[in-house]
Amino acid sequence: MSSRGPLDLDAARETRARIVTSREEAFETLFKNEYARVAGIANRVLADPHEAEDVAQEVFINFHRLHSASAQFAPAWLHRAAAHTALNRLRGRKRREKRELAQAPEEAARTVDPQRMLEVNEDRRLVRAALARMASKPASVLVLRASGLSYAEVAQALGVGTGQIGTLLRRAEAALRKEVTRGTSI
Amino acid sequence: MIDDPDAISGSDRRHYVDCKDCQARHSRMADDARTVATLLAAPELKVDVASAFKQVQLAPAAKPRFGFGLPILRPASRTMLAGLGAAAVMVALVVTAFANILPLFQPKTVAPVAITVADVQSLQALGDYGTLTWSVNPKPQIVLTADEAKQISGLNVPKVGKLPTGVSSNITYAAMPKAVAVFTFDAKKAEAAAAKTGKALPKLPAGVDGAKLTVTVGPAVIEVFGNLSSKNPNSQDTSGSSSSNANSGPSDINLPQLVVAESTAPLVTSTQVTAKQLENYILSMPGISPQLAASLRAIGDPSTTLLIPVPIQYATSSKVTVQGVPGVALGDNTGAGAGVIWIKNGKVFAVAGFLKQSEVLKIANGLK
Repeated sequence: MSSRGPLDLDAARETRARIVTSREEAFETLFKNEYARVAGIANRVLADPHEAEDVAQEVFINFHRLHSASAQFAPAWLHRAAAHTALNRLRGRKRREKRELAQAPEEAARTVDPQRMLEVNEDRRLVRAALARMASKPASVLVLRASGLSYAEVAQALGVGTGQIGTLLRRAEAALRKEVTRGTSI
Repeated sequence: MIDDPDAISGSDRRHYVDCKDCQARHSRMADDARTVATLLAAPELKVDVASAFKQVQLAPAAKPRFGFGLPILRPASRTMLAGLGAAAVMVALVVTAFANILPLFQPKTVAPVAITVADVQSLQALGDYGTLTWSVNPKPQIVLTADEAKQISGLNVPKVGKLPTGVSSNITYAAMPKAVAVFTFDAKKAEAAAAKTGKALPKLPAGVDGAKLTVTVGPAVIEVFGNLSSKNPNSQDTSGSSSSNANSGPSDINLPQLVVAESTAPLVTSTQVTAKQLENYILSMPGISPQLAASLRAIGDPSTTLLIPVPIQYATSSKVTVQGVPGVALGDNTGAGAGVIWIKNGKVFAVAGFLKQSEVLKIANGLK
């Protein structure tokens, strides 16, 4: 059995440093490629760019803690987690309503037509409330597709066959419309 | 047809031209799609990827998801496993307190109880209220085959049917023979521990001082699916050759994709003290939140119910039926992971992984 010299240990340390560096590089590449899309999904759910970025960063931090950035499933995982995390936040109704109350006058002041802006905000609130009432899967299909993901990407994110997406999407669209109508008729 | 008008075949298109029903359905669907596209309009999002990346880098250093490292990744850390064993005993002790029929407690079913971080800290402090000694030490071992795991634990290792796509068929086994712990209540230690919280300790019921609880945990066997690597780039490699590490990439370091566990249900016996006394005493201790106390008291038939603590900030729980018996399904808040726990024929089973809940349930129902 041969003893290991200092050179061997140095080489081992270098190798480890390379692995750590390549992990960090892979994560940075993944972040740059996917961040806008992940934030876009969250924004589609929350209709709030600031909170959407908050969700996107939380999703990336969680991913980095759990998985290797070079994993094949990375984009699909991020898309799904973005939709679920944002939907979970949306369901925290009290906090959201409080924020919107604070935000509405501020946004209204920035626009040319304050009345129109208030209407837009109210529409968004109703739609998001309807989205929060829907089951996770149809809600996720809607927001992922509306965020520009292809049928194949939506299927990967939700772990279903691409062939099912068309049907899921049509049903989800009908369900959201029904929920919005229900919310406004009360 | 709505998203891609060219996708429809020639014969379908000819049918569509003449079919009023199809035209009406298409019109409804197109209308839904247009409405939803308008409804889901969102304010413009301008991202600054570089500064967002800096923000993420400033986040606290990566820590294992549940606050402790999975011992399977570091087979050498036996002390960690012993610590986990002690934690399991503490859970069993708390469970015991709610059993109506002492001196015997053996759970036959499971129920979720919502807990907060503060509750966990209070329950951990219970360890200070007496002395824990092992009369049979926990001796967990990592083995490579189901036969070895069976030899150690004496349990038939559960067989998983069809694995979901993406889950590795590589299995690492951990097995543990029966372990027995004795917890002795000590009035003086309890007083000193309560003093730390700054609140007066409720009066110790007669007989609790010196009462002994004997807790038997295991035997148990755990199957871990995934391409685990024992190579840890952060640890000092003093034994292996450096060339093996040179060929390994970052993807070699993975968390388990699926974990299946089976254990004999914990058994608790006690001396001197009745369950009711113990329940009232523990629930009146400083630090136990009224919400937790109320939800524990609300559990039906506590003498045979294993309580599954669910940290409400991080996980969700629901009641499900697994293999014909009631179980508790758990999910993390991102929807990325799921688990299920149930008790059948005196054995506690758990299946968990970074999978959808439906997949985890399917695996649980297919266990043999």
